[in-house]
Amino acid sequence: MKGGLTSSSMRRKGTPVLPDIRGYFGEFGGRFVSETLMSALLELEKSFREAWREKAFRDEFRETLADYSGRPTPLYFAESLSRETGGAEIWLKREDLNHTGAHKITNAIGQALLARRMGKSRLIAETGAGQHGVATATVAARLGFECQIYMGSEDVRRQALNVFRMKLLGSGVCPVETGGKTLKDAISEALRDWSRTVRTTHYLLGTAFGPHPFPLIVRSFQSVIGQEVRRQILAKKGRLPDMLVACVGGGSNAMGLFHPFIGDESVNMFGVEAGGRSITPGEHAARFAGGSVGVLQGTRTFVLQNPDGQIENTHSVSAGLDYSAVGPELAYYRETGRITFDWVGDDEALEAFQRLSRTEGIIPALESSHAIAYGVRLARSMSPGQIVVINLSGRGDKDVMEVSRILESKGEAGS
Amino acid sequence: MTGRTGTGPIWRRGFSPPPFIPYLVAGDPDLETTADYLKMAARMGVFAVELGIPFSDPTADGPVIQAASQRALRHETALESILGWLSGIPPENLPPLYLMTYFNLFHHMGVERFCREAQRSGRIAGVVIPDLSFEDGACYRPVFRAYGINLVGFVSPTTSPARARKIVRESRGFVYYVGLMGTTGSALTLTDETRRIVRDLRQWTSLPVCVGFGISSGAIAREILEFADGVIVGSRLVQDEREPDRWKKTFEEFVLSAGKGKG
Repeated sequence: MKGGLTSSSMRRKGTPVLPDIRGYFGEFGGRFVSETLMSALLELEKSFREAWREKAFRDEFRETLADYSGRPTPLYFAESLSRETGGAEIWLKREDLNHTGAHKITNAIGQALLARRMGKSRLIAETGAGQHGVATATVAARLGFECQIYMGSEDVRRQALNVFRMKLLGSGVCPVETGGKTLKDAISEALRDWSRTVRTTHYLLGTAFGPHPFPLIVRSFQSVIGQEVRRQILAKKGRLPDMLVACVGGGSNAMGLFHPFIGDESVNMFGVEAGGRSITPGEHAARFAGGSVGVLQGTRTFVLQNPDGQIENTHSVSAGLDYSAVGPELAYYRETGRITFDWVGDDEALEAFQRLSRTEGIIPALESSHAIAYGVRLARSMSPGQIVVINLSGRGDKDVMEVSRILESKGEAGS
Repeated sequence: MTGRTGTGPIWRRGFSPPPFIPYLVAGDPDLETTADYLKMAARMGVFAVELGIPFSDPTADGPVIQAASQRALRHETALESILGWLSGIPPENLPPLYLMTYFNLFHHMGVERFCREAQRSGRIAGVVIPDLSFEDGACYRPVFRAYGINLVGFVSPTTSPARARKIVRESRGFVYYVGLMGTTGSALTLTDETRRIVRDLRQWTSLPVCVGFGISSGAIAREILEFADGVIVGSRLVQDEREPDRWKKTFEEFVLSAGKGKG
């Protein structure tokens, strides 16, 4: 961990420092929020930059990750899955082994430490699949914050277990009934809460999205994923991977894995969006396949919108990817060609969910199943000896009820 | 129309029209009713009307305006359609109009194209865009100005004095002081802080300083008008939008209160 948590590749010559001072990644990003929230965003940016420069803050963050969340997470060679697939070696970054079962806890710990430093007494957060809500409720319990989670009522239904976990941890859970009743609507409601309570409350945004400085903060905390992968693969294979694969909802597990490798030209990166039932409006969440540049919830990025500029509702079997917009930094790297994007539909993700369970004894989150499906596709087209690293961003316990329901309705249960 | 809705402030201090800006959601319950309300506002000679264009994700709005927006989205209320619709209304039936909506709708139409069409229509005095921050607005301000469309600046209770000075300097039309922290439709309680900030703002600009968010009664409006140049009333009116008789009654009450406030 020499050099702290800042990646060496960030400092490489010729790599622009992003975001710029206005919070833009090229033409993406910004701070499209009401004036009431601006002072909080300016304060947050200042506090983050100060804290991140301080060794004591970074040490506390790192120690909490180690002792409380169980980092570093393993980089695991999925030998059986690789054999069944045929082609490249498939390695899994086991973010599912974090405390609370997903990479989300890392950002929650970082931002909660920041909130404490800023003297805030209350945390609010949005959640889709419930993983970020659980992570926030967890750190709130540990650090003694009052906590309120906003969750679309459709997701409350799909993720009942996580709702119970949040309550058990002492947080309030507020079902959001507006719009498509999913993640987008939960974010809007959290923003509304924040504009009422901004003096005492920190909005613990869960993904590399929203107004500046959130994309910067979340990426900075989550980059520990890619930093570990780099160290681990060098130790095990003596070289960098050929391909990195991550699913993309807002983009936190993807930016976390990719960012430390941005300067490594030999490493190809693939972001996998949710193709849902089909790439037609309202049936998917593949922003790069069906979207265009717009402004939503604080940032200028790729957005699914209709010809009038109204935001479209989305569908994905996985609540965590079921969202109309994507993080601005990913939009930027797509434009520069550094990161390639594609999508995986519900059925293929469900198939990967079962395949990983069967071959490796690991039940992946439905979100991560999209990355698994795509990584398997890639590996098949590559030669033996090449390396694919897939970010297994979360575990699938939260999804087993929903998957069981879907498979039963398809008449596939137990087949 | 020029004189009234052209470039520059649409009224100055020492005004005679009621210092009251009603907010309507275009198309709630339908566009005919909206036209009727606009006509009434024009007849009463209010300073201006904020005409809300419904957006699917109104993050600065509370439940009343959210619900109205959802209802209005069922009609022909796209930004471009609204400009066309307004062009068909005789100018004497329209008050000075400020279009209020979220930035994505302008961005999607193209800010320059919007400005060109708005100018051509001769019906639009300006725009109120709650999620276009002062910083992100920097590159768009020259465009709005080139076409004589006023871009209204927002100041909130959390805005620092140094920042507020910059915002009011760049504001056009009027200055929108967000009287409370929260979304539209919460209840405003007047504090010394509100009085102090509005007094400061009025020292830094010759534009009218109007207070909005949470003005739920004529009594509060009157109190605000003791120290501010105008009041913006949203949710309280939108709440009655579906029932024209009720809406008109509420509207008249505010007009009367606003008139008295200047005594």
